[in-house]
Parts: sequence; structure tokens; C-alpha cells
Amino acid sequence: MKQKKTKSVIPGFGLSFGVTLTILSIVVLIPLCSLVVFSARLSPSEFLHTITTTRVLKSYWISISTAFVASAINAAMGLILAWILVRYEFPGKRFVDGLIELPFALPTAVAGIALTHMTTTQGWVGKIFYDLFRIKIAYTPLGIVVALIFIGIPFVVRSVQPVLEKIDIQYEEAASLLGATRRETFWKIIFPEILPALISGFSLAFARCIGEYGSVVFISGNIPYETEIAPLMIMSKLQEYDYASATSIALVMLAIAFVILSVNAILQSMVSKRVSGIA
Amino acid sequence: MNLRKDSGALKWTLIIIGELFLALFLILPLVFIVRTSLEKGLAVYFKSITDQYAVKAAFLTIKATIWAVVVNTIFGVCAAWCITKFAFHGKKILSTFIDLPVTVSPIIAGLIYVLTFGRQSFLFPLLDRWDIEIIFATPGIILATIFVTFPFISRELIPVLTAQGTDEEEAAALMGAKTWTIFRTVTLPHIKWALLYGVVLCTARAMGEFGAVSVLSGHLRGKTNTLPLYIELLYQGYDFTGAFAASSLLVVLTIIILILRVWLEGRGNKDADIRK
Amino acid sequence: MTVNANYLELRHIEKRFGDFHVSKDVNLSIPKGRLVALLGSSGSGKTTILRMIAGLETPDSGEIVIDGKVVNDVPGSERGIGFVFQSYALFRYLTVYDNIAFGLRLKKASKSEIDDRVHELLKLINCEGLEKRFPSQLSGGQRQRVAFARALAPNPQILLLDEPFAAIDAKVRLELRTWLRRMITQLGITSVFVTHDQDEAIEVADDVVVTNAGRVEQTGTPRELYVNPKTPFVAQFIGNTAPIDNYDKFQFFDSVGPETRAIIRPEFVSVSKKGENRQFVKSAEEGVVEDVVFRGSSLEIKVRVHDVVISGVRSVNDPIIEIGETVDVFIYRLIIVDGEKIVLQENKSLRKESVVI
Repeated sequence: MKQKKTKSVIPGFGLSFGVTLTILSIVVLIPLCSLVVFSARLSPSEFLHTITTTRVLKSYWISISTAFVASAINAAMGLILAWILVRYEFPGKRFVDGLIELPFALPTAVAGIALTHMTTTQGWVGKIFYDLFRIKIAYTPLGIVVALIFIGIPFVVRSVQPVLEKIDIQYEEAASLLGATRRETFWKIIFPEILPALISGFSLAFARCIGEYGSVVFISGNIPYETEIAPLMIMSKLQEYDYASATSIALVMLAIAFVILSVNAILQSMVSKRVSGIA
Repeated sequence: MNLRKDSGALKWTLIIIGELFLALFLILPLVFIVRTSLEKGLAVYFKSITDQYAVKAAFLTIKATIWAVVVNTIFGVCAAWCITKFAFHGKKILSTFIDLPVTVSPIIAGLIYVLTFGRQSFLFPLLDRWDIEIIFATPGIILATIFVTFPFISRELIPVLTAQGTDEEEAAALMGAKTWTIFRTVTLPHIKWALLYGVVLCTARAMGEFGAVSVLSGHLRGKTNTLPLYIELLYQGYDFTGAFAASSLLVVLTIIILILRVWLEGRGNKDADIRK
Repeated sequence: MTVNANYLELRHIEKRFGDFHVSKDVNLSIPKGRLVALLGSSGSGKTTILRMIAGLETPDSGEIVIDGKVVNDVPGSERGIGFVFQSYALFRYLTVYDNIAFGLRLKKASKSEIDDRVHELLKLINCEGLEKRFPSQLSGGQRQRVAFARALAPNPQILLLDEPFAAIDAKVRLELRTWLRRMITQLGITSVFVTHDQDEAIEVADDVVVTNAGRVEQTGTPRELYVNPKTPFVAQFIGNTAPIDNYDKFQFFDSVGPETRAIIRPEFVSVSKKGENRQFVKSAEEGVVEDVVFRGSSLEIKVRVHDVVISGVRSVNDPIIEIGETVDVFIYRLIIVDGEKIVLQENKSLRKESVVI
């Protein structure tokens, strides 16, 4: 019924819609149009040439692979963190719960220099790893992964936590009365319930990590072909005022992010269809 | 019988794994920042944070943050009001555009503004004629900050307003209340905690934005440096104490924000419970 | 009754949740094959009793006995029970087939055994062809039946149902009640279900256990409870009752004890128009009609007699009574409250006339 209602008795639509559209236009729509206009002017051959140079391809690979590894680690750790925050009582629980949000709130550049300085071969942590295992963290892909883990921590926790809280204890009781052990109940009943949220959290973290710049740029060392991430490629093209190349690289990155988020959206709608019964 | 009570060993193993992980990735860097900034003594620390360029950068950060909060609050309230109180075509597209900025890499956000307001833009002749400088200047930094925090407030308000429905506003409107009265007396009490919460999140992100601002600043020391950019500059100049001293200021702000966040969330939930 | 006749027994069960005393010396004996309703308002402790039988809660003291064995320390999954949850708790990510097969798979039954059993149950619950569906693609009634089948799959000796009809809309509910009763009688499985709806308990169950504030008030067949309530609570809870504070105002009833409280049911009361020729008009009292409510198949007449408003039923075929009319009211019987006991008393003139006849 509400859908068909054309006129609302509540006033203020014109004003609020006008303000919304004006600000949206200035901040998002016009800039987006100019990106589209500029992209349309790129010559296809130039575009292809830019994005297929080895250095650029390598930077995509580094961005995607490190983001994937970091997000996978965060998916596992995020699940554990969400689980302990929802299911257990322990001292300092509120503190841990608040702390999860730190990566959202701490400026990325601050996180970046702290993580870098800690993990160089002279740093607090880097020294231990270097002396004991001859492993370098800063200025290697491992360093990028470390920075991206930091950035991605809240995503999985915050998407799994509310779902886990809502699971009715009846499901677990039902499974237990039918003879399931705790482990069987977890994998057969609880895990399928939280899997969509886990995938969603993973995708958001993955997409965010691919585009991350501030925390990574310090720790990566920006060695071409080794630790140069795609956002940095855009940055260096911009510094050379090579807007065409920068835009080409950016378009591919936008496409990658779009694919990740679309795959997630498709998966989620498949799940919600199954659960809500609209088949 | 508590079905959810796992055996002590499993429970504590998981808790310890979780806490160690957080200690290593979150607490240690914070401690490290504070420790490094104080390495050369308090005198050097205070000299670093009162350096005129540091102060100027801090002011620019504050300025950009205030702009972002004000613009996004106005936008967020209007957008949330439109989306939740009225039925119109294109609602879904509108929501998508509002959420778009946070899914875009900050570097790309910066790039988009360079393309829009830079020398090669179709808008450039206009801007040039009116002598408006946007990129590599303060307006660019403010715009970039607004962009990266764009949906933060509307996103907090929309769920609250959706849950609240339109009955109360309709009732007020039928009794003859005007827009502003309805908003102030009926809607605002519902959203005040969510709004504050959104403002806190927006502030956090605005003061720390690096990538987009970095593209648009042109790094004019003292003129278009925000605190995070200033930190980068110091760090790359091997002034580690200075970089970490400036960072420690942001760490303090971050901690305040986290505490506010937890408090506001608690207040908001309490109010929501009462309304139930 | 001998001990062996009772398949399921609860002996002196005590249970507290913190300060809340949910079960106070609960004793129950349920013979094999009976269908029993635990009836009570919310907070009366009925669900806790069911959950303790299932092993989802542990009593603080007392014994739960199934088939002669004390099962307090036996996990729920090994007590031979099936449990149908209030909101069914069907596993949303498993198909109907997998839901029903869940318990069998955990018992390591062979593939063909599982297949046979699932199809047998699907046939029983009239859901053949739905095995590939997910719970969300079923109607409320189908979900309930699948939950029923899932509980029955491992061949339990006792079936427990927590508010089995609460989540279903009124129309389907009546249908399902009859279905469930038929199904359980056909299977001959000892069953206990919890409900707050007396109609449901009376219609479906062989025996009803009335619970109140953590205690079992009375156990008996629906008819026994209705005709012969043992406590004021049961008298008031069963049937459509109304309390009367001063029954001594009414003629033709002897007072019992010092208290003057009584409980009256509309079917105890006959309301007739002045001049309408009815039995016992002589011993009727006069009242003024306050309200006439149409109840579908009958009329409920609210009459003020001696400054007390009592309700009576009247057939729709009887002459119409208007509000404000003065009518004759005859009360056949009253349930008189005497402390914790109750006395059912018939109208004195009724006794006299029966003597005359």
C-alpha cells in the first residue's frame, strides 16, 4: 500500500530532496561524470597498453594477492573474535569489543608508520623475526599483508557478530536432542547460519584492502615489481601528471572492486532467497 | 544445562588466541607510537608538537573535519529523511550513489577530483575565469574529506528511521505541524544518538584521511598539509620523533573517539529498548 | 496405579532460576501411550517441566524416570525422546529431506535405511514431493509437520511438543489439532505437549495437567477437570468463568464456610424473558439486562442481579432479549470457594424438584 502512495501527508519532501540532490551532485555525481567523460576520451589501444605493462600487471597482482591473504587471515581471526565476544564472558570483554574498532578510527598513515617502524629489521618486532628466522617484514609483501590485516580486522567481526547473536538457541537444542555433538552442531548448524555474514565481511575487507593506500605505502617500500601496489601506481602516474595512465589503472581497479562486491551481492541474494522463501 | 557452555580448555584457547591477535596487531602499535615519540624526552616531544608547521597542519585537519561533519550532517539528515519518510522512484539508485564513496579507493577518489577540477577538466575554464582554486589547495582537501566520509551519517540514521516508521510524523502532520516542528519534536528525539554516533565516526575518518587528501594537497608545506600528510613528510625526512609525536596526538583523539563510540552505542541501545 | 504402568514419571522435582522458583515439588505420572497436555498461563512453569524431561534443563532435585530408569544424568539425545520446538527450529540451510534425516545420519544409519525412513515419514505427514524444499518454502502447517517428522525420525519413545500450535494462524490451527491428535493416537507414542490455550488442551489431550505458579494443580481427563475441579485455580482456569464475591446474596444456595467467594460459568445460568415458560421460574431471581453479546452460535447475556453482573447463555433461536429488560435468572449451580478447597453446589430447588419428580 505504501508503495502506491504517491502523495505523503508528511511535509518537507521538496526541501530535503533538493538539499540531498545538490550535495550529492557536487560531491559524487559531477566528479563521477567527469571520470566517465575522461575515460571515454581514452584511446582503447593506449588504455590496453597502460594496463598490460609488466609493472602495472605486477602491481595488480601484489595488491590482489596480499589483500586476499590478509582478508583470509582476518576471516579466520574475525570468526574467533566474534565467537568469543558473543558466546563467552571473560575479563576485559568490553575493552576488546571497543578495541575492534581501532583500525576504523586510527588514521591510516599513523598505523602505517607505526607498523613500518616496528617491523624493520631494527624495529621491536622486526628484529626478533629477523634474528630468529631471517624473515624480513617491512619492505616485503609480508609487510603489506601485516598492514592489511590491521586495516581489515573490524570487517569480519562486525558482520559476523550480530548474526551470531541472533541465532536462536533452539537450533542448537534441536541438534543436540537429535544426537549431535557440539562440533557437529557447529559445523552443520551454526556455520551455515554465519557463512553469509562471513563471506560478506570477507568481501568488504578484500575490496577495502585492494584500494588501501595510507597504511601500506610506508611498509611496502614501494619496490617496483616487488612491493609496488596498484594505488601507488596511480599515485606515481598522477605525480607525473600522466592522467590518462592513472585513469586507466584506476578503471581496472574499480572493475575489480565491482566484481568482488557483485559476487558478494549475488551470493547474499541467493542465500536470502533460500532463507526468506522467495524462490 | 547450558548447551552453549564449551569446555574450559576450548573457551580459553579461543579467548587467548583472539586477545593475543589484538594485542599484537592493535595494542602494540599504539604503545610503540607513544614510546617512540617520547624516546628523546619530553622537551623534544613538546617542541615537536608545538612546531609551527605541526600546529598549522593540525588546524587544517580540524578545518577539514568540521567541514566534513557539517556538510555530511546536513546531507545525512536530508537524505535519511527522504529515503525513509517518502516513496519515490530511484530510491535504490540514490542509496547506491550515497554508499559509493566508501567503496572507492581513496587514491581513486583523489584522482576523480583531479579529473573534475584539474587543468584538463571541462570545468577548468570556468573555475579559471572566476579564479577558484580547488585542487592542490584547501578546498580540494575539504572536498576529498567530505567524499571519503560521505555516507557515514546517513548510514547511521537510515536504519533507525526505518525501524521507527512514518506513523508519528503522519500523526503530527495531520495535526497541522510544519516540517521543522515535526523534525525537531518528533523525528530528532529518535535519531539523536544515532546522529551523534555518525558524527563521531565521521570525525574519526575525516581527521585521519590520507590517500585522497594526499593526491589533492600538492604537499605545500604549511599551506595544504593536514596532520597525516605532515606526519608522512616528517617520517620520510627521517624525523621519527617528530612523526611519532604528531602521531601520538592522533592516537589520543582516536582513543577518545573509541570511548565516545562505545558510550554512544550504549546510550542509543538503551533508548531503543525503552521505546520497545 | 503401579509404578510400571507409568512410562514417564517426575518425582518431587524442584527447580530454581536464580530467585525464581519455577518448579515446586512437581509430581507427574504418565502412562505409556497417553497424550498429555501441560496447561498453564505463561510463567506457570510448564515449559520448564517439558525442557527438564527433554534434558534441556536439569532439575535442582527430584527424579525424572523414563521406563523405570532414572534419567537425570542421561543426556537428552539418549533419553529416547523427540522434541518439537515452539518455532520448530527447522534448520534453515537444510532441505526438508536433510532436516528429517539429520538425527538418523548422526546415529550412523545406512543410506537406504535413512531413505526409507524419511520417505515413510514424508508419507505420514502428507508432505511427499516436498523433500527438496527448504523450510522457508513451506507453509506454517507444513513446517510444523516437518518438525514433527524430524522429531519422530529416530523412533523416540516419548514425543515432547512445546506450544505446537502457537506459531500457526488460527484457521490452520484447528485443522492441525485434529491432525496431530489422530497422528499421535495412530502411532501410539507417549506424548506431552505444552499449551496455554485450554481449548487446545481439552480438545487434543487424553489427560490435562494444570500448572500454576510452579505447582501442578490438578491432573485428569478434560471432563474430570471441568466437572470436578479440585482447586479454586482449576475451577477458574477451566471453562469460561467469572468470579462472584458475595454468593450469599443469592437464594437457594447454602453457605459453606466463612468465605463468600464463588465461581460461576455461563452455562450454569439460564436467562429467560418474563412470562417465558421455563422450568424453575419460581426459584428464579430477577435481574436487569446490561448487555447482549452475539457469540456466533449463541448469545451471551449480561444481567445485573443483586448488584452483581453475571453472564448467561441463550440460544439464538430463543425470543430476543433487549438491553434494559427485566428478566428471570436461574442459577443451576455454583462453584463455591472454601479456602484452598472448592465445593460444587447445586441450586436447592433443583434438588427439591428432582425429589418431586
